[in-house]
Amino acid sequence: MKEVKLDCLGEACPIPMLKAEKKMAELAIGDYLIVQIDHSCAMKNVPDWARLHGHNVEVEEVGDGEWEVIIEKVK
Amino acid sequence: MTEKTKRKPKSSQLPFALALVIALVVFGNWLFGINPTLAIALAFGIAFGYVLQRSRFCFTAAFRDPWLTGSTSLARAVVVAIALATVGFTLIKYKAFLGEQTIPGMHSVGAIGIPLVLGGIMFGVGMVIAGGCASGTLMRVGEGFQMQIISLFFFMVGSLWGVHDLPFWNTLNTNAPKIFLPDVFGWGLAFVIQMLALFAVYLIAYYWQKKRMGEVE
Repeated sequence: MKEVKLDCLGEACPIPMLKAEKKMAELAIGDYLIVQIDHSCAMKNVPDWARLHGHNVEVEEVGDGEWEVIIEKVK
Repeated sequence: MTEKTKRKPKSSQLPFALALVIALVVFGNWLFGINPTLAIALAFGIAFGYVLQRSRFCFTAAFRDPWLTGSTSLARAVVVAIALATVGFTLIKYKAFLGEQTIPGMHSVGAIGIPLVLGGIMFGVGMVIAGGCASGTLMRVGEGFQMQIISLFFFMVGSLWGVHDLPFWNTLNTNAPKIFLPDVFGWGLAFVIQMLALFAVYLIAYYWQKKRMGEVE
């Protein structure tokens, strides 16, 4: 089980989601991807995308307007 | 579970919020003295901004995600919003029509011509690159997203440029039709047709997501 951080700070929607999609493809089942974002649109976009693909998702607000989307690759 | 980044310590924002509310009330009062419409516009602007920010409603995503990911949840939300607005606008306009007053908002019935198509394509490309449409950009500038301050600047430059070239664009619209549905079908039928069209778009969006993602929330 590995944990990968993906720095998307300062990137506007939909770049964080596209980056997350690419990174997820490289990971193995059971790995965690932590996407760091500060664009409020991506805060909805990234978790929605991951949930619809059946992954476990948790969103953590680490600062004012700064979030970490923690995605566990399930399949 | 994974190791989480420590939450940065937060200072209370309550004093700022209070100061802002007081400042807005004072500012609103001042505007009301000059022109009551300005104060009403301010109130609606603040309410709209609040709803937009809290709901994370994004018109750009509504038109982009169906192609990018296949998700149409925001696209369907926009359809519902237009349907609700249709009810309200029809009532307001129909009431003005019955009272033989000038129907409000008729200057928004624009020509359907080449400039509309070109403008739509240009705006669509621009908003996806800039990461937000007009309202979304304004809202995220308020949130402090720096890149979109640049978007806002060029949004204003582009608007001015557009106004400058407007006489040229209008020459392309001389033969383009302006269609107001109630003029064509009558008020009742126009309302029904618009609602049916929106319902059809909603269904298409629903099955689009089902086909592309295999799941609809």
